[in-house]
Amino acid sequence: MASVFGTAIKRREDPRLITGNGRYTDDVQLPGMLYAAILRSPHAHARIRGINVEKAKRHPGVVAVFTGRDVAGKVAPIPTAWLPPDSNIKTPAHPALAVDSVRYVGDGVAMVVAESRYVARDALELIEVDYEVLPAVVDPEKAMEKGAPAVHEEVPDNVAFHWQAGSDPASAFQDAEVVVRHRFRQQRLIPNAMEPRSAVAQYNAGSGEMTVWVTSQNPHIHRFLLSNILGIPEHKLRIVAVDVGGGFGSKIPCYADEALVALAAKELGRPVKWTEDRRENFLATSHGRDEVIYAELAGKRDGTMLGLRIRMVANMGAYLSTAAPGVPTILFGLITVGPYRIPRAHTEVYGVFTNTTPTDAYRGAGRPEATYVIERMTDLFAREIGMDVVEVRKKNLIPAEEFPYTTALGLQYDSGNYHGALQKALEMVHYEEFRKEQERLRTQGRYIGLGWSTYVEICGLGPSQIAGAVGFQGGLWESAAVRVHPGGKVTVFTGASPHGQGEETTFAQIVADRFGIPVEDVEVVHGDTDRIPMGWGTYGSRATPVGGSALAVAADRILEKARKIAAHMLEVSEEDVEFADGKFQVKGVPTRQVTFQNVVLQAHLAWNLPAGVEPGLEAQAFYDPVNFCYPFGAHACVVEVDVETGQIKVLRYVAVDDCGPVINPMIVEGQVHGGIVQGMGQALWEGAVYDEQGQLVTGSFMDYAMPKARFFPSFETAHTVTPAPHNPLGVKGIGETGTIAATPAVVNAVVDALAPFGVADLEMPLTPEKIWKITHGRDA
Amino acid sequence: MRVEYQYTYAATPEELWLLLNDENVLQRRLPGCKRLVPVGEGKYAAELGLDVGPVKGLFNGEVELVDPRPPQEYRLHVKGSGKPGEIDADAHIRLERKDGKTVLTCTADAHVTGIMASVGQRIMGGVAKLLMGQFFKGVDQELKRARS
Repeated sequence: MASVFGTAIKRREDPRLITGNGRYTDDVQLPGMLYAAILRSPHAHARIRGINVEKAKRHPGVVAVFTGRDVAGKVAPIPTAWLPPDSNIKTPAHPALAVDSVRYVGDGVAMVVAESRYVARDALELIEVDYEVLPAVVDPEKAMEKGAPAVHEEVPDNVAFHWQAGSDPASAFQDAEVVVRHRFRQQRLIPNAMEPRSAVAQYNAGSGEMTVWVTSQNPHIHRFLLSNILGIPEHKLRIVAVDVGGGFGSKIPCYADEALVALAAKELGRPVKWTEDRRENFLATSHGRDEVIYAELAGKRDGTMLGLRIRMVANMGAYLSTAAPGVPTILFGLITVGPYRIPRAHTEVYGVFTNTTPTDAYRGAGRPEATYVIERMTDLFAREIGMDVVEVRKKNLIPAEEFPYTTALGLQYDSGNYHGALQKALEMVHYEEFRKEQERLRTQGRYIGLGWSTYVEICGLGPSQIAGAVGFQGGLWESAAVRVHPGGKVTVFTGASPHGQGEETTFAQIVADRFGIPVEDVEVVHGDTDRIPMGWGTYGSRATPVGGSALAVAADRILEKARKIAAHMLEVSEEDVEFADGKFQVKGVPTRQVTFQNVVLQAHLAWNLPAGVEPGLEAQAFYDPVNFCYPFGAHACVVEVDVETGQIKVLRYVAVDDCGPVINPMIVEGQVHGGIVQGMGQALWEGAVYDEQGQLVTGSFMDYAMPKARFFPSFETAHTVTPAPHNPLGVKGIGETGTIAATPAVVNAVVDALAPFGVADLEMPLTPEKIWKITHGRDA
Repeated sequence: MRVEYQYTYAATPEELWLLLNDENVLQRRLPGCKRLVPVGEGKYAAELGLDVGPVKGLFNGEVELVDPRPPQEYRLHVKGSGKPGEIDADAHIRLERKDGKTVLTCTADAHVTGIMASVGQRIMGGVAKLLMGQFFKGVDQELKRARS
């Protein structure tokens, strides 16, 4: 039987999801269910002088109205679960509903619970809130200035944390022949998962059990946090998130809304549902990026990089969201050197409060920003010393023979062949020919450009010991349980929480491959804390390297026991049994064999088991990786800029990624495509904008430009395979590589195209207006 | 958001001033005005029913005339709230004599919240100009009516 590992079988979840048979949170319908709606602050910063809910309470169909004062004491403040050490972190209380002050447009002020969703929404308009509007600050650098309005009274300088890594690279700068300095702006992005957030809560007053269906990437983290917020012990609290329509990081956090729905269900004795609409999603679901980064790169004229100094000011928004402080620190600050051999490096990060929606992880989380800065700096350095951008990269990429390689920032890159990936991409691009073509077209007044991005990513989060050391308030191991049924079919329970990544398929492939059984014989269960073992969920490209590894270990435990039983059945010693293609056979005697299914049945019948072997066939594993995974690759983007209109057309996109052995090429391809599209979205179109009063002026798809399929050429993808040395599958992550690599590749390409105009850098997004101003000699 | 609007009247600043400060004219010509009640010196409680793009619904608020210097200039402070959000606008109105006519220039700074900000900001300038146009043209009609 051909191995199913490495086969491009179609995603088994898709027929269900595209025929309307998914089980999303908003699909949950319970008898007697009520609907909640949340009144959100229209002001970025204001004191609440009073709230009058009487009219809303009297509105027909309204069952209850809750204000901040009503829920205080019943719903604990929403906690932050990532506290980077030695960062003097401040975590001012984040009440589930505002009590005295609102701190961003979208901050929850009151909740109406009614017989229908429409009544609840109508009643919001009957709530009278007396606001005293206060000065607001939205820009993270302005928030650090003296005299800026304080978002939280107890943090007068608005600095939420100050974190550093690496050591002072001063000596590198003294030895430098060239120093390149630049300021970068990572604009704020809005994740925009296709499914908005939703929560349904049901409380059984008899048993004291609470069930919360919620749009979550990590049900057990939700249980952990909601248990504390609500005061319901974990064994009485069930979190269900079976089908989740995308998250991109925005469904990692535990939100106040989810706790409020649970409280309402408990207080009112009826199930309660809340689902945000798209406008609410823009305002009240976490945003991504929004940082200012100052970079200094020291080097020699021969192209050698010597040192890197990074200072980042990160806009955290009004409160520190669940994982937010880990993003600019650990996930950005430790990988600013990228794939290059830079002997000295230092990162300094200020996390700053502003009167804006809280930011948190957004696809790639920190690593796209790090890659953007080092890839742009590499191009600026090459320009400064008059060297080809590819040559500079080749000179500084860590050579394959130097792995494992410990960086100046302390990470140990476990494996890599960076030059190999770059070489493959160069061949696909036909680099030399491109340069000639570029020259030729320029004489015709046409401007094409090629941009590179050689990246390394830190993913497969991660070793729990390191998680603890960097202040993550949880473990990062993963769990799996494998239950083999008497007939030979298998149910797999994973602590990872797929929400679009296709692990129902790839995890089935891992198990089917190990057992030599058809992939259809394996069912994957996830997203329900009452069914799955404790696990930490899906983010940071961890599900397959960590969750998949847990599964491989559990499956091997099954095989270990099955082999004992098979040996007993074949009346030989265990050492004389080999397992291949789903059959146990006596070594060298192909006629003496028993099938996996046969052994499974005997394990369950238990009529004749070897001494000391228990009946049944189930195994569990808790897998804690010894290191992160470091996927890498080389991406190249070719653009043409229409200098008359400022329009940018992406002509080609070449992606060479190395995520180790590929379990399902079609799913990997899909992940790469989606990532590239999101990365290009940041480069070319997306951007959240606040006005000075803190109003989000890009609050709908009219003003926030999402990429569309027709914007892109067909992507050219390829792989190199360098297995991760420390996990049983050798796999790394692939969920974020596209987003991490694409943004700088695109911007480098546009800058390259516009080189004749003297352009050295461009601030994202590269809208036609911005380009037009440059090509027409206007100030940008 | 900053908006500017200009309108030329075939009248003297003095004539125009009287009209602009006439409660009945305001009541008739303020776009969508359903109610205008004096609540103090140069201060009115107003109710406007508007329907221009995202600015749709009943707005309740206050209109206040500030720093009048007849017949040259005054400021109008408008505060209102309705379903789509709140408006806080400060308008400066200047009357200048020119070739026997009067050029009125209105410069307004407006802040909006709610759906007007998050969805409508991009077109708010246009909406504001449209509403101003309706009002100032309306005043011109009042002027012609007073003369006929």
